[in-house]
Amino acid sequence: MQKEGISAYLNVAQMAKLNQLVLNSRYVVEGTLAGRHRSAQKGSSTEFADHRSYMPGDDLKRIDWKVLGRTDKYYIRRYQDETNLRVYLLLDRSGSMYYTSDPDRPTKYAYAATLAAALGYVVLKARDAVGMYIYGEKMDAALPCRNSFNEWNNSLKVLQTFKPEKGTHGADVMHQIAEAISRRALVVLVSDLLDDQEGIVKAVAHFRKNMHDVIVFHTLDPVELTLNLKRGAEFEDLETGEKIIADPRSMAKEYKDIMGAFIETYRKAFAEMKVDYRLVTTDEPVDTFVRAYLEERKRMSR
Amino acid sequence: MFGSPMFLWALLAAGIPLMLHMFQRRRTVNTPFPTIRFLKAAQKRSSSRVRFENFLLWLLRTALLVALALAFARPVLRNVAGADSFLGRSRRDVAIVIDGSYSMNYEMDRGKVWSLCKDAAVQIVQALHPGDRVCVYLAASTAVPVIEKPTTEHATVVGAIQALSSTHVSAKLDEAVAAAIRTLDALKEKTEKEVFVLTDGQALSWDGFRSSKTKEDGDGQERISRENRDKVALFTLLAGAVSSENAFPAHVKVSPPLMLQGQSARVAVRVGRTGAPKPVTVTLKIDGQENGSRSVTAEPGTEASVEFVLNNLEAGVHVASVSTPKDALAEDDAFQFLLRVNRRLPVLVVGGEEAVRYLRVALAPGASDDSVRQVAPGALDTVDLRDFQAVFFCDALPLSGQDVLRIETYVQNGGVAVFFPGETCDPSAYATFKILPAQPGEVASVASADAARFLRRLPRKEGQAVDFTMPLPPGTMPTIALKRILRIDGEPAEQAATLVTAGEGTPFLLGRAVGRGRCFLFTVGATREWSTFPLTAFFVPVVHQLIRQGSGASVQPAHVTLGASMPANEAIPNYREEDKITVPSGAPLLVKETGGRNFVLEELPEPGIYLRTKADASDEPVLAVNTDRAESKLDPVSPDDVAECTGFKNCVVAADAEELARLVEERRNGRSFTELVLWLALLLSLAEWGFANVALRSRKGATEDLTVSMTGKVTGG
Repeated sequence: MQKEGISAYLNVAQMAKLNQLVLNSRYVVEGTLAGRHRSAQKGSSTEFADHRSYMPGDDLKRIDWKVLGRTDKYYIRRYQDETNLRVYLLLDRSGSMYYTSDPDRPTKYAYAATLAAALGYVVLKARDAVGMYIYGEKMDAALPCRNSFNEWNNSLKVLQTFKPEKGTHGADVMHQIAEAISRRALVVLVSDLLDDQEGIVKAVAHFRKNMHDVIVFHTLDPVELTLNLKRGAEFEDLETGEKIIADPRSMAKEYKDIMGAFIETYRKAFAEMKVDYRLVTTDEPVDTFVRAYLEERKRMSR
Repeated sequence: MFGSPMFLWALLAAGIPLMLHMFQRRRTVNTPFPTIRFLKAAQKRSSSRVRFENFLLWLLRTALLVALALAFARPVLRNVAGADSFLGRSRRDVAIVIDGSYSMNYEMDRGKVWSLCKDAAVQIVQALHPGDRVCVYLAASTAVPVIEKPTTEHATVVGAIQALSSTHVSAKLDEAVAAAIRTLDALKEKTEKEVFVLTDGQALSWDGFRSSKTKEDGDGQERISRENRDKVALFTLLAGAVSSENAFPAHVKVSPPLMLQGQSARVAVRVGRTGAPKPVTVTLKIDGQENGSRSVTAEPGTEASVEFVLNNLEAGVHVASVSTPKDALAEDDAFQFLLRVNRRLPVLVVGGEEAVRYLRVALAPGASDDSVRQVAPGALDTVDLRDFQAVFFCDALPLSGQDVLRIETYVQNGGVAVFFPGETCDPSAYATFKILPAQPGEVASVASADAARFLRRLPRKEGQAVDFTMPLPPGTMPTIALKRILRIDGEPAEQAATLVTAGEGTPFLLGRAVGRGRCFLFTVGATREWSTFPLTAFFVPVVHQLIRQGSGASVQPAHVTLGASMPANEAIPNYREEDKITVPSGAPLLVKETGGRNFVLEELPEPGIYLRTKADASDEPVLAVNTDRAESKLDPVSPDDVAECTGFKNCVVAADAEELARLVEERRNGRSFTELVLWLALLLSLAEWGFANVALRSRKGATEDLTVSMTGKVTGG
């Protein structure tokens, strides 16, 4: 029987491996529930934030009487609000994501889905909320952000129903998503980024402009990096269907140079806008990668 | 030219890389790829480089296949025009010249040089094709034809070569090669002509080429014509050791040449050496008994001398030898010679009984002694003067003209002639002699008052050829009483001098050097009628000293050189026609009569001691024959020297039989390039592999400079 939901992507051992991990945002976020993440709002908590002048209507119990005694002025004590994290996973299902150089290795899309499932699992275990956007040429699915395992399982079932499609207009869809997410959140983009580079960078910048924390998992097959193919062939573009006859051995160097420049462009652009850019290849086990990544992120946020 | 031209069809395989390339371009597999925009850009950027690399690869692969096809076809480069072709091979006439000198017996690790050369000769013959003709010459002191007429019966030739043995002489390779070329030249058919010289590489053997290069023989023709030097191929095998070592006694000199019983003698030995300087022990043996040994260090290319002193040798003929320690060339380690020790020197006295009475007594105190022989002047023609050390003429003139000539020849050759005037001797008879120290005048009587004369030896003048010492017993006064004296009017002749005077200005004894011999003239007779000289105590020593003045017309050499030709009487003492001389191997020695009872020993055939069988069947050693030690100098000749001195256009020199066979093969069939082409193919394949798998694969691109951590963080680039 075919597995459904999260069990289609993660087995018990993998989930156990991810149990103790947390996905933190590097910036303040705006959640709907109380949580362990700093909120942009001031509210009730034990952590003092600042003072402000008393205004009519304020609760008298919030007046700082010690300040009144010293200064004879009314000040209200404000406390840092703590809220839960809302994580939005953006999954690219364009045609190019349906590539694998080795039949024993997952396609980039399968790898990205597994990565999304693992991240969602980690987020939910930390009692935070996770939502997902699946897009290709257009927005295919916008799964709401919930902190429920059942909801997430249902989302993953929906994800299972999608297959990669031909074209991609990732930048447009991302702008659309950036407008849709009203509160500050953590946006995780899982894509091969084989699109208009400038458009993608601008779309990611849109997220940053809306004060979202952004992580980009640039997912590639190892052969895409090195063009390590043995023989010449007629290559067919998975998105446009265009064909070209080429001998990969003779042009490997130039290809690697071009691909290197492509990655470097993203790396520099994302570094400038403080986006966490990570290059993931499909030959690395998802659970190992997620664990290593989250542990490093935890260390960095201390 | 190609050994297997059929394989040239394989050159068509050179088209395979191109065909594969074309085929591969059309047979493509459809492969999906995320995006081809990067492939397009890479292809555009790499197209010119790829085209160049593809062209190079195609070139390498095509060249590799061409090289392999050529290697299978066995390419050869012909050295000579008209050599073997695809269709058949031309016939060959081959002459083999084998060095027969005794230095060929040099023992090397691989065996004797002689055996190596014979084996090489057999290989050469066996490598010939049926129909090829071959003749064989042995190079000795002359060219010895072994197979004179070129034959196609190779088995016979091999048999003849295997039966060959080396000689004891030096080889004249130039004569043998010239003879071989004459033989080949006489063959009218148009064939390839080759001469093989198989020798030990001794420089001496090639000296003849240098001296005969421009020499012309009797018919006004050059020994080896320029045309033949250009036409005939000369293959030379220098099979000897590169640095030979040899020590040998080169020469022996016995002095004095005339040895008397009781006298001491000296043996001077010259020792030669080839190789590094090394002490050499020289051992002297007499009659098989070791007499002494001495050590001497001989420098390479020079001869060192060492001397032995012999005392108290018994009268008779002794066989002696000097030897050096055994080395690689054993043939020249011993040098034999004869020591002829006389009891007395043989003397002939010519004159009547009365005239020679005192002289005979002085020369031979014991009447039974046969060392002094007397003949009447008329019977002088019955004796061979060469049997005597000295001839005394006592009142013997006049003599026949024939006898005068014989006496003059005898003196010229080293004999001693002593003239005493006599009663019957007419002074004018002296005029017929050309050898006398001075021409005597009249006989003058001496008055009794003036008779007592003191004999005085005149001091030797500068440049005086003849000398005399007055050997007198202690206390003896050299005084005589003269009765008559032969007056000497004129001046002494050329090379003559007055040796002793009897009173002021009165010559008593005159001497003259004539050729190798001496002629003496007393002015008094050998009888009491002339003076008291025969009765004095110094008559005997004076006479004996005169006998020893000659260099020995009857002295036979202590040793002679192998191959020498000489009159029998000069080599063998008292040789008679009936004498039987045997050589060391036991064969009789051939003695040729040249007329007038003159006998000649022609080309002494072998080294060793030659014996004369006497009437009582006992053997007497008469000759010691040694090899010519010039052959013992083993200085090597270089291949360049051979090419230069022979002047052959096609001269091939090899150091061993295998190399010779290879060079012959190269010359006949051409030089094979198969190995070279195979090496080229190997290099091409390595280059192709390196280019296709290393150069093209090792190019790093920018993505390989990126460092991606486990967490996907990208650095570098």
